[in-house]
Amino acid sequence: MTDTIIQIKNVCKIFGGLIAVNQVNIDVPEKYIYSIIGPNGAGKTTLFNCITGFYIPEKGEILFYGDPIQGLSTNLVAWLGLSRTYQNIRLFTNLTAVENILIGLHPNLKSSWFDAIVHTRSFIKEESGSVKEALRLLDYVGLKGYGDFLAKNLPYGLQRRLEIGRALANQPKVLLLDEPTAGMNLHETAEATHFIKRLRDELGITIILIEHDMKVVMGISDRISVLDYGMKIAEGNAAEIQANPRVIEAYLGPGGAALSEKYKKQRQSYAQSHRS
Amino acid sequence: MNRNLFTTSINKGFTFGIVMIFLVLIDFEVMAATMLSKLLGVNVVRGALPEVRFMIIFLVLYGLFVGWFASSDQEKPAKKLFQALIAGLTVAVVVGLFDIALNQLITTGTDVRAYLAALGPASIKLFLLEKGALGSLLHLGLFTGASLLGSVLKILLKSDPMSHFLKGISTVYRDLRAKTQAITPNWIKEYGKYLLFLLIGLSAFFLPRMWGSYNNYVLGLVGLYVILGIGLNIIVELSGQLMLGFAAFFAMGAYSMALLNAPLPHGIMLGFWPALAIGVLMAVLAAVLLGLPVMGMRGDYLAIVTLGFGEIIRILLKSDLLTDFTGGPRGIQDIKGPTLFGQPFSSDIDYTYIILVFMILSIFIYKRLERSRTGRAWMAVKEDTKVAEATGVNIKNSKLLALCLGAAFAGLAGGIFAARNQFTGPNDHQLMVSMNILSILIVGGINSVPGIILGAFTLKGLPEILREIENYRLLVFGGLLVFMMISRPEGLWPATRPNIEKDEGNRQKAESPPGKGGQHD
Amino acid sequence: MVNENRPPRRYKRSNLSKIVRWVLGIIVLSYIFWRLYTVFIVQNEYTPDIWFRLLISGLVIGGVYSLIAIGYTLVYGILRMINFAHGEVMMIGTFAGYFVFEATNAIKFTSSSGEITSLSNAQPVLAVLLAFMVGMAVASTAGFLLEKIAYRPLRKAPRLIPLISAIGASIFLQNLAQLLFSPLVRDYKNPALIARGQGWPVTIAGAQVVIPYTGVLTFSMSIILMFALYTMVKKSKLGKSMRAVAADKPTAALMGIDVNAVISQTFIISGLLAGAAGVMWGLHNGLVYYYVGFLPGIKAFTSAVLGGIGNIPGAMLGGMLLGLIESIGPTALGISYQLKDVLAFVILIIILVFRPSGILGEVLSEEKV
Repeated sequence: MTDTIIQIKNVCKIFGGLIAVNQVNIDVPEKYIYSIIGPNGAGKTTLFNCITGFYIPEKGEILFYGDPIQGLSTNLVAWLGLSRTYQNIRLFTNLTAVENILIGLHPNLKSSWFDAIVHTRSFIKEESGSVKEALRLLDYVGLKGYGDFLAKNLPYGLQRRLEIGRALANQPKVLLLDEPTAGMNLHETAEATHFIKRLRDELGITIILIEHDMKVVMGISDRISVLDYGMKIAEGNAAEIQANPRVIEAYLGPGGAALSEKYKKQRQSYAQSHRS
Repeated sequence: MNRNLFTTSINKGFTFGIVMIFLVLIDFEVMAATMLSKLLGVNVVRGALPEVRFMIIFLVLYGLFVGWFASSDQEKPAKKLFQALIAGLTVAVVVGLFDIALNQLITTGTDVRAYLAALGPASIKLFLLEKGALGSLLHLGLFTGASLLGSVLKILLKSDPMSHFLKGISTVYRDLRAKTQAITPNWIKEYGKYLLFLLIGLSAFFLPRMWGSYNNYVLGLVGLYVILGIGLNIIVELSGQLMLGFAAFFAMGAYSMALLNAPLPHGIMLGFWPALAIGVLMAVLAAVLLGLPVMGMRGDYLAIVTLGFGEIIRILLKSDLLTDFTGGPRGIQDIKGPTLFGQPFSSDIDYTYIILVFMILSIFIYKRLERSRTGRAWMAVKEDTKVAEATGVNIKNSKLLALCLGAAFAGLAGGIFAARNQFTGPNDHQLMVSMNILSILIVGGINSVPGIILGAFTLKGLPEILREIENYRLLVFGGLLVFMMISRPEGLWPATRPNIEKDEGNRQKAESPPGKGGQHD
Repeated sequence: MVNENRPPRRYKRSNLSKIVRWVLGIIVLSYIFWRLYTVFIVQNEYTPDIWFRLLISGLVIGGVYSLIAIGYTLVYGILRMINFAHGEVMMIGTFAGYFVFEATNAIKFTSSSGEITSLSNAQPVLAVLLAFMVGMAVASTAGFLLEKIAYRPLRKAPRLIPLISAIGASIFLQNLAQLLFSPLVRDYKNPALIARGQGWPVTIAGAQVVIPYTGVLTFSMSIILMFALYTMVKKSKLGKSMRAVAADKPTAALMGIDVNAVISQTFIISGLLAGAAGVMWGLHNGLVYYYVGFLPGIKAFTSAVLGGIGNIPGAMLGGMLLGLIESIGPTALGISYQLKDVLAFVILIIILVFRPSGILGEVLSEEKV
């Protein structure tokens, strides 16, 4: 039995008259790849923003190792070891790739502005150590040789990787990935899926994933929650979610479950007729 | 198609004509002709007018510019010539009509200087090339001819043989550079930088003794503005907070020096160095007091709030309320200079040394800050505040630190400034001072020390040397700001990002024993 | 597996700046109350006629501020940028009006009664109308050109770049005016009918107060213009497209609205208002020089922020309020009249710190900004 690393309890987030996240309860066990799926506008990114301190939820609690973190400022959440990436990539575009990762290292470093001016011994040591660490991470996410490129000049796929690299620099306990394969082709998606799995297996990081690509979600998730109109409508492993009529309805509209059943049968009969 | 060509050329010509009229209205053409005359070695006594031929040269240059600008890049040579002809003619017609009006003024002896201050009869006569009504015809010829010539120049310079030629020159140059690099011994490569520094240091030591107090004054002014520019650069360019009231911190430094080290109004006479230190501290204190409440504010609001802060400080310094304390509008005089090891150290030359030392120190501190955890955090905040926060940067502390450090530089420059002038008053700390420093940054280049030095020299040094341009300095500033934002927002000499990966690779290669090649991960 | 670099276990949002804010706010408030108490209760030496006089001058100046503030608000609403050079547009309007009065004053003829009078004295209504028309036309042209040259190429640039460009344009225009017309402070030649300092005498609490003609003209003119503008924005097609562009530029373009044209028209309208405000300023205050637009510009911006930037009724309200505060404030607080500009700036800072959305403004979400 693994520990619960993040526990979302009855969280509500309200914008004006719109309840973007409504009474959501989610427990994320340690070292899981936990996916949150749902149609557009279901409140997934809002939930992410609540966890990472961008928004303060109106109600409910978010526990990290049992300590409440809702309402903490974003930088403290990062200090605790929660890193994230963004739906539309948000890198520091006018800085180089290495510098992006060096900024990611920020919470792990201690030197102050005064150390920087007088170049104390600890500063020099820390600085050269952080450069080495940044280059190691750069290599890890597969950007070796691209380190001195400005982030805005990198190709799209590498920008995504760099964003993950920056998030990893923080030595996170939990990594929140917001649609990491959006805009990628089949090959890149497969690569990214493999990479996410590797992160969990090699570094032991818990991963919370928002994703629209069902192939990715079903392939790597240990557990899945489905949000619709801000509410959690289902939770389970891949097979359970696929079979859940409420989920299908949320995606395909009312009556969608029956429709999907019909198509499934058609497909099966088609496959059978071909097999025979 | 041709009609389109025709109308755009007419439009361009019309614009240039109007610009020319405005130049005449502000007497710019006489200033330009004077400058040309001095450039070509004919000195003009202050207050006198240059010779007619220099006016002709100025008009021809203007015409060349019109022709160059009017002939568009994509068109064929004949069409380019056509465009230049039309534009030149339009300029000539617009200016010609204006000439007739001017001539009317001259012949009737009307003096319009009560309304248009710069339009004196002598400069009108000069503009009409001392020929009266005939001047407009001469202008017609000059503008059209020069415009055509400009177009021809453009055609020639952009033609294939010419561009081949230019490319050839650049390859020869590159080859030459590669060859010289190949034959320079290693020790020059390695220590050349230090040699250069030594050279600069020696000239910085000896030049102030040799070239007279006026040059020292200009050099000191440029140096002070470099310090100010570096301070504001930390606030505006590194941490991304547009600050329009920087002069307030400058005033803190200057007034601390004045109040603590002048016989009136308080007669504390604390001495230069302690007063300078207190000035820096006061500037930092002001930054904290301003910064804490406004730190979370959006960029453009912050700009306006800081502008308001600067104005409040200035008005307060000037007001009756503080006259007993700060000397009011008259300012504070007779500020004592520094002493060093018991000796007075306050001649022109000494101040130049002080300023140079502090300037180098500022550059040094700035460079170290920029390439540190703190500096990177600032840049992250500037690039994307939200993401920087989510990466673990404490936004408020980071911005406040930038504000304080920037203010410290301003306090330092303010203290030296007041002591060097032996005077400070509210008019030393106007909004224009803040704007000048901001212009230095924007013209010079983002986060680039050479850019700041270049900017300080162009915007503060040049106008001091070229006295004629003085009246037009702020006008040119304003125009330059708009122009730079549109065409080159990164500045004249933008900074490049450091190549950390490459440097680290090179360092590892150098460390690992030769032969292995340093190809480890 | 706990990293020793992590901060201690008690995490909290840093509240220092909030505390400083509130401490400063409380200090300012208690200072204001203390001053009000001293002036009204302890000293109580001002008679109602003085307050009435201040009220009138506040309303007049407030009307001018409102007109300029509308220009800031319109442009901010559409482009989300602070048109820093707007004060200079007003200055240009003031100069245009000045030249009209100079010209009409210079045209002399012998009237039926045999006296030599000038056009502006014989036909004051015509002269004033002409001045307003020319001032508004010139200022709106300036606004149009300003947008076209200094802002349009920067439509897609980050927020601060157009602001710097606007600052540059402001410096440029100020110095152009200084070079053209010299730094002299000139006198506005009002028609004799509305000479400055003359007006209707009114008796308030036994003392005589003069309501100046120029003040009445200025105030009524500003009310008329504000009403016209408000109707235009609410009712006309242009007003509708302006609101559409303000809400969402790409979508407005998809609906067939020519966004560039609408933005140009916005600048023209704000130029018209600023030009009128400039002529009023000249008529009422009587001074014109190259720097005349700067302080009214900043204060009008303050008014726009006070009322809620982007909000037209807010700009009107804010302008009036700021005019009143500025004219009554120094006396009510018992501070020197020199410090009225400080008062305006302090209000600006307080509003931006405590309620950036202003009195009537909506709270803009992060995304929208």
